[in-house]
Amino acid sequence: MKHSLTLNLANQTVAVERFLRVVRHRGFKLTALELASKEEDFAIKITVDSDKPIYLLTQQLNKLVDVHSVTTAQLQQQAS
Amino acid sequence: MTGAELVVQILAREGINEVFGYPGGAIMPIYDALYESQVTHYLTRHEQGAGFAAVGYARSSGKLGVCMATSGPGATNLITALADAMMDSVPLLAITGQVPTAAIGSDAFQEVDVLGMSLSCTKHSFMVERSEDLAPILQQAIHLAQSGRPGPVLVDIPKDIQMGEARYQPWLADDDTQLQPCRDQVNKANQLLSECQRPVAYIGGGVQAADAQAQLMQFLYKTNMPAVQTLKALGSVTPDYELNLGMLGMHGGEAANLAVQQCDLLLCIGARFDDRVTGHLTKFAPNAQVIHLDIDAAEVGKRKPAAASLVADLKASLPQLHCFVTEPDWCAHVSALAKQHAWRYDYPGETVYAPALLNKLSQRLSADAVVCCDVGQHQMWVAQHMQFSHPSNHLSSGGAGTMGFGLPAAIGAKIARPNDMVLTVSGDGSIMMNIQELATIRRNNLDVKIVVIDNQRLGMVRQWQQLFFAERYSETNLSDNPDFVALARVFGIDGQCITHQNQVDAALGAMLSSKGPYLLHVCIDDKDNVWPLVPPGAANDQMMTQANSEEKP
Repeated sequence: MKHSLTLNLANQTVAVERFLRVVRHRGFKLTALELASKEEDFAIKITVDSDKPIYLLTQQLNKLVDVHSVTTAQLQQQAS
Repeated sequence: MTGAELVVQILAREGINEVFGYPGGAIMPIYDALYESQVTHYLTRHEQGAGFAAVGYARSSGKLGVCMATSGPGATNLITALADAMMDSVPLLAITGQVPTAAIGSDAFQEVDVLGMSLSCTKHSFMVERSEDLAPILQQAIHLAQSGRPGPVLVDIPKDIQMGEARYQPWLADDDTQLQPCRDQVNKANQLLSECQRPVAYIGGGVQAADAQAQLMQFLYKTNMPAVQTLKALGSVTPDYELNLGMLGMHGGEAANLAVQQCDLLLCIGARFDDRVTGHLTKFAPNAQVIHLDIDAAEVGKRKPAAASLVADLKASLPQLHCFVTEPDWCAHVSALAKQHAWRYDYPGETVYAPALLNKLSQRLSADAVVCCDVGQHQMWVAQHMQFSHPSNHLSSGGAGTMGFGLPAAIGAKIARPNDMVLTVSGDGSIMMNIQELATIRRNNLDVKIVVIDNQRLGMVRQWQQLFFAERYSETNLSDNPDFVALARVFGIDGQCITHQNQVDAALGAMLSSKGPYLLHVCIDDKDNVWPLVPPGAANDQMMTQANSEEKP
């Protein structure tokens, strides 16, 4: 299942490393990434692919101190 | 004021009087500021020892543990302790020196990207890039380590920031009003509790983290609900509670595992359905609906779906559960299971039976004694055969399962609670992983009692080789161990070695009445195994026991 996530992160390079590490470690494959620096924040859009339910990732991302917000949208059902 | 002086001033302001560490080039300014300061620094003989001493300090006292190290290898040596604290949700602050800002990224002497290394084993981590950030970052780090679900936080401070001018400025946390559970979920949970016939409370380390033992025991006494505990929770349910079934899981008691497998409602209180607890996950508590109480929303539904979830501080959520009374038939059934599967200590032969020794030791200790342990067979025997009245009295590396934990953790515990008896139970494998900390015990004349359970093997691995790897004993024979009593004596620590059951009582007496540190070396049969055992891939009611393992052809 593919999901699109929109995140606002603290504008620090390590915040990007930190959230990408969580995406990988929790078993989600990164298929697209856009990053824009906006004053205090990084605005980030990613697409991830996994058989796991997306809440398993968003709940972990929400715990990160540098992550200010996470919103998700399901993109498509993957052909099985 | 220099940055280094500011670091020490903030520690003192925050009430941190004791820290553990090891100096080196990139953290010398902070060590200079510590010299003659009101913060007492305990020098360990390895940075990992400092990390685990801080963990032991935190777990035994409920206070923040603080450790420090220099850049490069000093910092990497702390990493294992950070990972351990992360897995077991221990409030820990690690301060590391870093090469000067201008040298970062140049592969300077003793430069390691410790911020990068910390990402997977801390709750959060910082590198201080500007002097004006130092005070707010340190205060935020101290707050983060102890708030919500506790965990380790690392602050990496380049040497030029330590040496440059800095000034104190207060940092204020966001309003930390206690997180309350969702009303709908509370109602759903109470409905499930009122409808169930066979409930079991499954209790985890969250009870200690939330300091919610009083609320837990109040709930249990009112409901008379049977209770099982994870390794980290042992002590949360007091030993006088009749339906306390002890530890569940891979080496849990048979009654605990059977009750969970038979229950129709599992009330999970600050636990996380760890694989050592559940065995085969889909076969775990197969008939039970789950109510999950945790402060960390990410634990709900991570391993097992919950019919109701109360995401809040346990002190806030536990009192909101209705105090119905558990069906007497179910209580009687569980009591019968407990009686039927009670531990037995009638061991044949003359060698020392470690479970019996640990049970005797437990009976001789006062309720406020702290027992630390390492990792392996002896760790499971401690969990099975010793009793605890509070989780801060049982320090065991749970999630990470780190050998070498016990000796430095006991050092931290003794410094946190100097008036309480502190013991560490170790194995002949584990004790050698941080043996250098005997020098820290001697240096500070710490009254730590050390019991080394010696089967001349890496016993838990040997047990698995016997049971699951066709008795191919690859690299688990330690029959060339040093003489542990002689080794202790070299560090100025008294001790003795016992080999027979009839020596146990006198040896325990000698150790407990000794003045100062003491090492009791206990030789046991290398074939003694930990029972019961849920084999890999099995459900928790498919336990191997000593009896059924001997029936195998």
